[in-house]
Amino acid sequence: MAFDRLLNVARKEFSDHITSRRFIIILGLLLVISAISIHEGIEQYNDNLESYTEQFQYMQESDDPYSSWMPSKPSIMYVFISMMGYMTMLGGILAIAIGFDQVSKEKETRSLKTLLSHPVYRDEIINGKALGGVGALGLAMALALAIAIAMLLVFSVVPTLNEFVAILIFGAVSLAFLLAYFAVSLTMSTVSKESGNALIYTLVIFFAVSSLLPMFGTMAADAFAGDPPEPPDAFVSKEVVRTVSGSGYYTSSSSQSVVYGGEEDPAWKEYEEEMKPYVEKRRFISDISNILSPQMNYYTVAMAVTNPEISAMIYSPYDAASEETPGLADALGRVWMNIAALIVFPSAFFAATYVKFMRMDIR
Amino acid sequence: MIRTENLTKVYNGKPAVDGLDLEVGEGEIFGFLGPNGAGKSTTILMLTGMIEPTGGRCFVDGIEVAKDPLKVKEIIGYLPEDVGFYGNMTGEQNLDYFARFYGMNAKERKERIADLLDLVHLGGVTQKAGEYSRGMKQRLGLAQALINDPKVLFLDEPTANLDPEGVREYRDLVSRLAGEGKTVFVSSHILSEVRAVCRTVGLLAKGKLVAQGTLEAVARTLAPADGDAVQIVVETRERLPEIEDPEILAVERNGNRAIFRAKTDIRDRLAASLFEQGVHVREMRLEEPDIEDVFMAVYRR
Repeated sequence: MAFDRLLNVARKEFSDHITSRRFIIILGLLLVISAISIHEGIEQYNDNLESYTEQFQYMQESDDPYSSWMPSKPSIMYVFISMMGYMTMLGGILAIAIGFDQVSKEKETRSLKTLLSHPVYRDEIINGKALGGVGALGLAMALALAIAIAMLLVFSVVPTLNEFVAILIFGAVSLAFLLAYFAVSLTMSTVSKESGNALIYTLVIFFAVSSLLPMFGTMAADAFAGDPPEPPDAFVSKEVVRTVSGSGYYTSSSSQSVVYGGEEDPAWKEYEEEMKPYVEKRRFISDISNILSPQMNYYTVAMAVTNPEISAMIYSPYDAASEETPGLADALGRVWMNIAALIVFPSAFFAATYVKFMRMDIR
Repeated sequence: MIRTENLTKVYNGKPAVDGLDLEVGEGEIFGFLGPNGAGKSTTILMLTGMIEPTGGRCFVDGIEVAKDPLKVKEIIGYLPEDVGFYGNMTGEQNLDYFARFYGMNAKERKERIADLLDLVHLGGVTQKAGEYSRGMKQRLGLAQALINDPKVLFLDEPTANLDPEGVREYRDLVSRLAGEGKTVFVSSHILSEVRAVCRTVGLLAKGKLVAQGTLEAVARTLAPADGDAVQIVVETRERLPEIEDPEILAVERNGNRAIFRAKTDIRDRLAASLFEQGVHVREMRLEEPDIEDVFMAVYRR
């Protein structure tokens, strides 16, 4: 019976969400942008595949000494990289739109008092509300993924089993990201008496953790890690710095070893040895700050799912490149802290919501 | 049916309800009177299991509310003051949502909701509750309070938003529900409203129960002591003559009419004296304390 009551609340909340104008509009926008970016991603994938095939044929036919070296086959997961960018913005807005007035509106219209006069416990109400919201966001995510997969199939791109699993994991990670902001907005809705205030508080947190925290992390890294070691004079001009960017927020750099005539230069090697702890220290400092940002965690984990190679390079810039493409499990293993943070962040806000709702004055 | 023992609720160090001892019998229509802020709504919230008392206990049908609020909620109906609904749903959908908490099956819900909507004259209304007038919301509130066919009905300021016709219908409904053996607990600060429907009342002021009983008994209890004086109203056909009686304290004359303030009820002696003087008596009665005045005096305290 207790579960029936919870389900009754969840069913109503889910129905309210998926029939609300604001949900339909934002979801529609999300799906349209999703479809366009997937289409672009598929075209890019096909181009890459074509280049790969040509290169593959060339290497098989030629007597080139590097013929044993094979370029990695493009993955259809590249298609989903573009989803990350708008998921963090539109998806975040969708999650906030669902949660920011879930409790405060009931306080404003006094329907909460009416509801509580019927045989239902407060925890069943708040859990039901959370479940309804999660269901609506799950539906939005499922629709986005379904459209993506349908488009892949329409363009004759058939995912392998591993790729299909990766797509599902990408969906789960994206949903976890949406839940983070849903949880924030639900908490603010419970804390605030008015929906307008709840929305403002949520947006403040949204921008603080999505923009301020990463900036703060970079500033803290600059301040605490000190100046980077100087490269050897003779090789300054030969330093290669590679920058990996993801949707404008993610920036990381690594240096490449310089090898001459098959022998590594000792001065350069020494420089690398000094650079390694410096980079590690910088990353450690910025990671501490970034771990609190759902955006950063999402980028990190989603990158590990969609592009394990880049993810591995970001995490271990000084490790020798493996001959084999890192597997999904390895890539996810490297970002376990970010995965944990994606779970802990919404859980903490849900817990705060629960405590506040249970103690709420309903006069 | 309803009992409280030293019921207390403290908000921010201030007692909203202070050691309330109350008893309401089965089938009674009980009026819970008091000025705004007296603690009426807080008491109802504790009785309906929506907030926990700071001290004391309350029982509904023998069930201690704080220990088993869900069981209590299953047998009560509650119409909150300024009742609220889900504006994006129709009245029927709102009632269906609430009815599901009572484990009613689809057929039961449909029949019950149709009956209740007809009862409150909202049958066939397809508007969303957000578009309802305040009176319509109040009527829908009454329907939701009756959704589970409750044994005890708590009504907080039930006529606040009703038009005169709605008030009349509400009064008929409450009388009918009491006739069916239901206990009705009406909270209001409007004496005339309570007077119209309630058989017994309790008067709350500053969180404390000032008096409980029938309206007249409560009024007598609360009337200013004024020694033990009684007031006797007399009207005669002829001019009222001088009357000598050691019990008379004062006389307020107005032509053929006078109000005697006396130590005791001397109507028999007054009547005899007037008869002896050949004066025809048109009216002679003991003046009861004015209930409105008595209650207003308590409200102003």
